[in-house]
Amino acid sequence: MSQGDDHHHGSDPNSPEIRTEALEDLLVEKGLIDRARVDALIERFEHDLGPMIGARLVAKSWLEPEFREKLLDDADQVLKDEQIQGAEIEHVEIKANEPGVHNVVVCTLCSCYPWALLGLPPSWYKSPEYRSRVVREPRKVLEEMGMSLDPDTEIRVWDSSSETRFLVLPERPAGTEELDLEALTQLITRDSMIGVAEVKAQ
Amino acid sequence: MSSNHRVHDIGGTEGWGAVPYDPNEPVFHNDWERRVLGLLFQVLPHTAKRPGEFRHTLERLAPEDYFCADGYYGRWRAGMEVLLDEHGHVDKAELDNRLGVPHGTSAGYRSANVAAVNPKSLPPDRITPLPERRTVRRELKEPPQFQIGDRVVAAGNDEAGHTRLPEYVRGVAGTVVKIHPAEVLPDSTAHNHGDRPQHVLCVAYQATDLWGEDAEQDVVINVDLYENYVELKEGAS
Repeated sequence: MSQGDDHHHGSDPNSPEIRTEALEDLLVEKGLIDRARVDALIERFEHDLGPMIGARLVAKSWLEPEFREKLLDDADQVLKDEQIQGAEIEHVEIKANEPGVHNVVVCTLCSCYPWALLGLPPSWYKSPEYRSRVVREPRKVLEEMGMSLDPDTEIRVWDSSSETRFLVLPERPAGTEELDLEALTQLITRDSMIGVAEVKAQ
Repeated sequence: MSSNHRVHDIGGTEGWGAVPYDPNEPVFHNDWERRVLGLLFQVLPHTAKRPGEFRHTLERLAPEDYFCADGYYGRWRAGMEVLLDEHGHVDKAELDNRLGVPHGTSAGYRSANVAAVNPKSLPPDRITPLPERRTVRRELKEPPQFQIGDRVVAAGNDEAGHTRLPEYVRGVAGTVVKIHPAEVLPDSTAHNHGDRPQHVLCVAYQATDLWGEDAEQDVVINVDLYENYVELKEGAS
């Protein structure tokens, strides 16, 4: 694009920035929305929600066998006990990885995801590439994403087609025996709870 | 030929490339994505209030808007443009006027209308206790028609309405492995035909049954299906 071109990025009416701003301005003028509430909602999603909520449940289940059992048996009750509430967790099921079994979550029809446990989903989770391929060739997709599974490991894919939301309980890596709840929580990534990565000790 | 006519129903479709994976992806890439998220939560109470209604709005987008270059938040913005136009809040021409561009850029110019779904094609409604809070869950007094271990098949249909039955399991036998709490039926609520609550079955499919003998070995795909989607597989033991 040459200098002096009128259609530089900042004023292109089809740029996402300009279209979004125009839409927001119209909505404010019509009294349909309140900018302060928009700001507050963004703040909450960006800073208060996130994978640390799910990670704490995973870490606790590694430390307390009874908690793990309850979490796998009735996650809804555990979330109630732990006072975890929010969007997209009306009914939650936790799927535990174990030697020989690996779980991975997708939503092929849209991008359903346990927001209140993991925050907003990453772009790749919402991409057509992931949504189409992980049900047809999960072993290959996981390998491309950096996770090589033993060929004998059974893969269980969970397609979130109803209002049930799934969270993977990854395996605890060796070398973490001395770590406490806080330190373990730090190790547990979002992607390990979707099922596309394993938790590493460091 | 596939009977798939739904832009969003892409599970198992072929021809896609590598997953655009970034393990360190930020929550938002651009500030406008933040605004779209924040706007959506205030726009929906004025527009798509029923379960499944916003999803169906996205499903009605033209493919160039559904798979738009602006990604997922671009799709949400396009969905808002459609809803705000249809509900009489922001006419599709009004946004173009504001942008100072010729009419035709708003997603509402290209989206399909809400399909007319005949309520007779849906299972009958049933009375359930009204929940105290807003929820899709319902308490059904009737037990599920299926049991864990049953072999079931979802025939599906080619109606253009909203459904949560993925194309890729249609006509294939799977095994009920769990029964989830009952929910309102999105095929009905999205079209304003009432709750028609259903038990929800988790059905496990072998990859080789879905994709053929060349499929990856030891892969099971679990799909949640509203009970009215399936019937017992004939001749199943």
